[in-house]
Amino acid sequence: MNLVEPANPPSRKAPLVWAIGAAIPWLMLAVGQVVWFVISPRLPWVHAVAAAATVLGIVLFVGVVPVWRYRVHRWDIDAKAVYTRAGWLVQERRIAPISRVQTVDTERGPLDQLFGLANVTVTTASSAGAVRIVALDSEVAERVVAQLTDIAALGGEDAT
Amino acid sequence: MTVHAGPVWQRLSPRMLLVHPVHEVLRQIPLLIGSVVLGSATGNPLWGLAGLALIVGYGVARWFTTSYRIDTDEVRLRTGVLQRKVLSVPRNRIRSVSTDARLLHRLLGLTVLRVSTGQEARGDTAFALDAVEASQVPRLRAVLLADSLAPTVEEASGRELARWQPSWLRYSPLSFTGLAMIAAAVGLVYQAGAGAALQNSRLARSGVEAAERFGVVASLIAAAVVVLVASVVLSVLRSLVTYGNLVLRRDAELLHLEHGLLRLREHTFDMRRLRGGTLRQPLLVRLFGGARLDAVMTGVGGAGEASLLLPPCPRATAESVLSGLIARPDVVNGPLRAHGAAATRRRWTRALMLPAVLLIALVALPAPVWLWPVWAALTVCCALLALDRSRALGHRVDAEWLVARAGSLDRRRDCIAAAGIIGWTVRQTLLQRRAGVATLIAATAAGVKSYRVIDVPAELAWTIAAAASPWVADNAWART
Repeated sequence: MNLVEPANPPSRKAPLVWAIGAAIPWLMLAVGQVVWFVISPRLPWVHAVAAAATVLGIVLFVGVVPVWRYRVHRWDIDAKAVYTRAGWLVQERRIAPISRVQTVDTERGPLDQLFGLANVTVTTASSAGAVRIVALDSEVAERVVAQLTDIAALGGEDAT
Repeated sequence: MTVHAGPVWQRLSPRMLLVHPVHEVLRQIPLLIGSVVLGSATGNPLWGLAGLALIVGYGVARWFTTSYRIDTDEVRLRTGVLQRKVLSVPRNRIRSVSTDARLLHRLLGLTVLRVSTGQEARGDTAFALDAVEASQVPRLRAVLLADSLAPTVEEASGRELARWQPSWLRYSPLSFTGLAMIAAAVGLVYQAGAGAALQNSRLARSGVEAAERFGVVASLIAAAVVVLVASVVLSVLRSLVTYGNLVLRRDAELLHLEHGLLRLREHTFDMRRLRGGTLRQPLLVRLFGGARLDAVMTGVGGAGEASLLLPPCPRATAESVLSGLIARPDVVNGPLRAHGAAATRRRWTRALMLPAVLLIALVALPAPVWLWPVWAALTVCCALLALDRSRALGHRVDAEWLVARAGSLDRRRDCIAAAGIIGWTVRQTLLQRRAGVATLIAATAAGVKSYRVIDVPAELAWTIAAAASPWVADNAWART
């Protein structure tokens, strides 16, 4: 028995939003290093190593990881279960039955709002069983929430 | 459950007027020392007395400001001398009631009663009646659990599942609790500033002189032996005091656990919330053929004291109690399906990583010769660890139970009811993907919430999940 991969990718804007989200702290770090270099330019090799590490981090986390995550992230819902795949280095496939769903939350960070994205979290009675569908287009997220609450008929049973 | 259960605010036992001040004084010792120091510095001993009076007054005020009431659909607790707080718990959410009586409480015939709802509740948010008279406990327990338990439950003495035996003490000497207690005591003494005082004292000087007379190595060995003996004695004593007189009893749908010679603790579990059990065999306990048993329950924390059913005891006892509870002996000690060569290889590479790195360091850097035997001993230990870990790995699954075993230093066999599993995760790190294995995680509302089956062959992961949870195979994505 095996499960095929879930079908739906996140929003096409997702890699861009992830890249921007990762770029902000890295650029702050880079600015800090420039300031450091201006203040005390002694030991040039230390500066060179630090700069190389930062450039490497930026290339990896701004350039590579968002694309990698976009290729991994998938989600799907059918009448009985919600199923996602997420991660990049560590990849997780998670499935939860809709009959055990307790709440369906939508959450939008500042960047998400700017780009019209939303994250949907489906919680069950287990803290280890929450299913997160990240970086959906807002209208898709609304449809997902409506669909889930519709099937789940929340509050029916104890769900433990 | 009639008279006093009516909706009126009730006070805790008046005897707490004695206990609260004592506890407050103990808790506020730094403040007290401060006020005494201030008093002696200013030459006015009244400062010390004023500090004491303030603390005692606060303790007394706690009793007057604490009250609780039991309504038809919720219980409420009002607390706080300066900052008032009302904590309310819906009665149909009450999952278990436990009691706990420390020494001072016991002398006064008092018991702390705790109500658990299964939510994570710590410190201030935990619902605890501290304290009520011990004679009231059965009545309060019945009232509090009346909504969530079957009404037929009586306080009858049911079947006894296990009783503490003196022979169980043989598992405690090798635990680290004694060492931890010694370390804590030493830390406390140093924090109190005794370390600096000790350094220049006559005692320390005579100790150093004696050490020089006997030779440093001999003294170190002697010190180690003393610490070891003290740790063994402390571990055994602690185990005796905590678990001596432990009784595990089952009355129909209720499980009662009672233990403690000085501090008496009593837990009541609702059997209908039992979702399995975990047999834990820390290495040193396992060497002596022992095991401990934790309950996996919804509404009861999964780790530590809350879920303990049996402390280290003979493995046969733990196994028979668990199989009595879940009525499936094959789940408790039946053979497991091993996870194959890839999983074994991963155990070995992970265990031998540290020796390999050290070997490179030893070769690359000029190292003294005596490091080599140390390295060899470490390597042998790591190899034994890898062997034991790879032999431990295994699982067993059917439509009703999932069993997963793993670990060496802390081996555990998790037996989880399939009906309690409410989600599955298949996790693969980069290395796991290359090795073709995956970690399967069952999510439940009970116990520690997530139970792992480590490094199963990747193609088997969903099959195992589907064997326990038919809904995994009954959806749009399942392919045979």
